[in-house]
Amino acid sequence: MEQRPRVRPDPGFALLDLYEQALPQVYGYLLARCREQALAEDLTAEVFLAAVDACRRERPPELTTGWLVTVARNKLVDHWRRLEREARGLRVISAEPAEPEDPWDRRLDAMLAREVLDELGAHHRAALTLRYLDGLPVPEVAHNLGRTVHATEALLVRARTAFRAAYQNREEGTR
Amino acid sequence: MTDPLDALREPLVPVDPDPRFAARLRALLEQALLGGAMSTTTDSVQGEVGYASVWTPEVERAEAFYGAVLGWRVQSGHHQVLGLRQHLGLADGQSYHGTFLSHGVTDLADTVRRIREAGGTAEEPTRQSYGLSALCADSEGLPFALHEIGPRPAADSQPGEIAYLTYEVVDSVRARAFYSAVFGWTFSPGRHEDGWGVDQVRPMTGMHGGHDQPRVVPMYHVADIAEAVAAVDRAGGTAGEVSRQPYGLSALCADDQGTPFYLGQF
Repeated sequence: MEQRPRVRPDPGFALLDLYEQALPQVYGYLLARCREQALAEDLTAEVFLAAVDACRRERPPELTTGWLVTVARNKLVDHWRRLEREARGLRVISAEPAEPEDPWDRRLDAMLAREVLDELGAHHRAALTLRYLDGLPVPEVAHNLGRTVHATEALLVRARTAFRAAYQNREEGTR
Repeated sequence: MTDPLDALREPLVPVDPDPRFAARLRALLEQALLGGAMSTTTDSVQGEVGYASVWTPEVERAEAFYGAVLGWRVQSGHHQVLGLRQHLGLADGQSYHGTFLSHGVTDLADTVRRIREAGGTAEEPTRQSYGLSALCADSEGLPFALHEIGPRPAADSQPGEIAYLTYEVVDSVRARAFYSAVFGWTFSPGRHEDGWGVDQVRPMTGMHGGHDQPRVVPMYHVADIAEAVAAVDRAGGTAGEVSRQPYGLSALCADDQGTPFYLGQF
């Protein structure tokens, strides 16, 4: 006789069991990237409530901390997308190729770099966060942003240019 | 070529949020998962198990066994398990040996008609102290009862209660057709070959085809499976191996009179 039960258990139990361990991971991921406690809390709640919805699906995903962090990344991108929409209306980001970049080779001051990142437009911030803070390869950044790889490469070039200009501006301001 | 922006790399460092936030969110999740929040429909689910009993040749022996393994306290003379939210009991089973379920339905007469049309058998409903009841058997001959529907069972289980029920059936196509015709149940494919989950019902229920004889095998929730398996062994039952499942730990066991059940630690 088989040793395993043949029914699917309620994944809701698994979520509650995972909660204590996963909460600091999800919250830590979000706080480091959005740098506002209230926003990190709101997004964390959205992540776990999305997990509740996922538990109700006929084929629930296997709930792991990694899965929750992926959802957190999506929520963060959604948040920036909302901000971007509010800031500019339903603007279609132009698909025209960006200007080629000058090589920029210098050590960044991490504190200053984070402050600069906070100042950038939401779409640039989203692209740079996924690419550099999370260290995702460009195709995955593209997937998370819902863009083509080509459009994402162009966006990253523009985002880096904007970052560099803001960074150099800040550096000059502090001199 | 190095990219200066690589300096922004931010490995995931866990941060404990404000404990008040953590507690609030947990309460919200519990409510969403276990409370009434997910049953947004007002239609009652037909055929949910409102009473389950273990039928064995020697009921007093079974009381001692399940008392030792699951901590069941049994009301003397009535064979009813006390102190649980679920209605569980034991019975003297000279004619039937196994786990016997009673399903709650809104309209007994209509359900009896459906059972007969779907190839099962059903006696005319009779009035018991707890309401109308009818003895039936499904299309494979597995006996069960109907009763007038009461409050919905809880969405979760506590130690000593049934966490879920597995129907082992001969032909799952036929059995699924029977239970969907009788109770309106729908099924989703499970993780195992010819394994099916019944959608929505409480306690969680599944079906598995390809068995010689139809039967129902309950999974009892235990707080500590190693302790419970050792208790099965001490009480003269057959203790199975504990295996890790996506939801927790489980072991297939049998009581000292050969009645199968699973133990589950979640």
